Order: sequence, then C-alpha cells, then structure tokens
Amino acid sequence: MAEVSIRDRAWSPYVAGVVIGLLQVPAFLLIETALGTSSSYVTIGGLLASVVDPSIAQIDYVAKHVAATGKNWWQVALVVGIALGAFASMRLSGTRRQVISPVWSRALGTASAPVRYAVAFAGGFLMLLGARLADGCTSGHGLSGIAQLAVSSTIAVTAMFAGGILVAFLFLRRI
Amino acid sequence: MSIVTAVLIGLAMGAVFGFALEKSRVFEPGMIVGQMQLSNFIMLKVFLTAVATGAVVIAALQGFGLVSLHPKATFYAADVIGGLLLGGGIALAGACPGTVMAQVGVGYRDAIFALLGGIAGAVAFSYAQPTLQPMLLAGGPGKITFAELAGLPYWLLALVLAAVLTGGLFMLESRRPWRRDLGSDVDGDPTGVPGVDLPHGHAGPAG
Repeated sequence: MAEVSIRDRAWSPYVAGVVIGLLQVPAFLLIETALGTSSSYVTIGGLLASVVDPSIAQIDYVAKHVAATGKNWWQVALVVGIALGAFASMRLSGTRRQVISPVWSRALGTASAPVRYAVAFAGGFLMLLGARLADGCTSGHGLSGIAQLAVSSTIAVTAMFAGGILVAFLFLRRI
Repeated sequence: MSIVTAVLIGLAMGAVFGFALEKSRVFEPGMIVGQMQLSNFIMLKVFLTAVATGAVVIAALQGFGLVSLHPKATFYAADVIGGLLLGGGIALAGACPGTVMAQVGVGYRDAIFALLGGIAGAVAFSYAQPTLQPMLLAGGPGKITFAELAGLPYWLLALVLAAVLTGGLFMLESRRPWRRDLGSDVDGDPTGVPGVDLPHGHAGPAG
C-alpha cells in the first residue's frame, strides 16, 4: 500500500474522513462541544454589524454568540485554522490554484468573473441563512449531529442534500 | 478554560481540518458541485467516513462516561427549510461554511465573496431571529436522538451506524473508485480542459 505523505496532491477520501472524524475527540474532551462551523459566522457577523448598529447586540441570539466565551472563540479560531491548514497543505504539495475554478465557466454558462462573484455571494448568503435557521451546517449537523444520532440533524442533512441536488440540477449546467 | 487556550486549540484543530479538506480535494468547487450533480462521490465518501469515525469515537467517549452528547433541538419546519436553503446555497457557492475557508486559504477569489455573503446571511438571520423564534424555533420535541426513541444505548446504535456506513462505503468504492473522481488537476474537473480565459485569472492551471 502506498505511503500517505503530507506532500501528496491527493489523499484517499477515507484517510481524510478518519482524520476529520478524530477531531471530535479534542472537541468533546477539551471544549465540551461537537465540531461545527456556522456559529462562528454569527459571532463575527454580529461583531461587525454592531459597529454599524450597536443595538444588534441586544438581540439575545446575537448576544449569546458574541459573548467572550471560550466556545465562541474556539469556533472562530477553528474556521480561521481551516484556511491556514488548507494553505499549508497546498504549499506542501505544490498544487497552485487559479483565482476561479475552471468548473464555474461551465456550470454558469459564462466565464464572467463578476457573475461568478455575484453567484458566490448569493450562495454564501443562502447557505448561512439556512444553516442558522437549522442551527447547524455540514459540520454541525452533518458530521457531528448524525454521529450523535440526532433527529434534527438527520432531517436537516436530508434537506440539505435535497436542496443542493435540486439547485445543482435546476440552475447549474453539468460540469 | 481561558479564551486564549480555546483559540489556540481551535487554530490547531482547524489547521488539521483544513489540511485534510485540502488533501482530500473535497473543498474543491468541482467536487462539491459534482456531488450535487451526482457525478462525483468524493464529498460523500469523506463525509460518511468522518461521520462513521465520529460515531465510533463519540460512542467510546460517551460509553465510558467521559462526555455527554450535544445533539441539537429538533424543530421540524426550521430543520427542513433551513436544510433546503443551506443545500441550495452550497450548490451555488460550491462550498459549505467550512470548505469556503479552505477555498479562501488556497486562493480562490470567488470564495471571498461566498464568505462575505455568508457573514451577511448570518447577520440577516440574526435580525430575523426574534421574529422567527416563536413561529419556527419554539416548541418541538427537544434534543431527541434515535437512541432515545429506540430506547437503546447510544453507543450501541452509534456502532451499528458506523458498521452500516462502512459497509455502504465499501460497496460505493467498489463501484466507483475514488481516484476516478479526482479530475485531471485534482480539482474534480472531469474534462481536464483549463477554463475559458478568465478576465481576472490565468488561462490555465498553474500547478
């Protein structure tokens, strides 16, 4: 069996999946929570918005997320860490990337960067709106919730795949 | 635990997470859109493997009484509507809230717009939350799990889940080997043709 090296361009999805699943150990033992990412967007968004509109912090939901707790800032750090880890991995394997993945010109039927940026923004907006309504995303509901056999997560993840497949088939061309 | 310690732990865990996302290529928009178009199964493989692994380790931790579970509360309408919006957004962004950060890390410029859109979406929800709360986020059966509903210990069902997922992954892999879905530049692009000349990008892969 070939060795798995940090300089590889691509690992087996199974090796990567095991590594990610093992992160639940420090999450549960050290932070007493499961892996998640979308709450950090409320923390950062809430802080940024409060600069323009200080009254937003009076909403209990926001106050809960911007409170200076270990758990809130752990998740922000986790999400920043993802960017750093991805960067490091890319450098170690020498895989450079273009500014926009080539699949988008086919999926959107246009090579226009502004169109891609607008679709990306809209996608991001819907993504977090949905994730916060459902109280979790692919990590919080998907990885963590299903592993804990939560009913909420099973419903949310099923709907997530349904929504994703529907939109991909209705609005994107085959890549 | 102090915030500094929590942040350091988060950075370290995130770095491992991001590393694994990049190495598996699952952060690539080509992989995610490909999965939603049912032509690429790398995302499902990483996802289900991580779920199965998580189930085993959480079963061990919880079974030995070291940790308690943290399931989220069930709100049927919110879970369905939220999930649909989340999935639709993922298809258009070509990323989920976590993999967006990996895309930013490797230099995809459109990911920055997805991230900004995500922050805007989170803020929009925050403003709407007090209005939505009594309608969609109240009542409900609570933080129920299938173990409770079945009246069985969590660790037992979690191990069953892990076994079922492992079996399913074996079957999936035998029908569809992962190397086939990588694409010519490990980005999930099945054609291997560099994208059309992008006004703000390069004409071909630089790697």
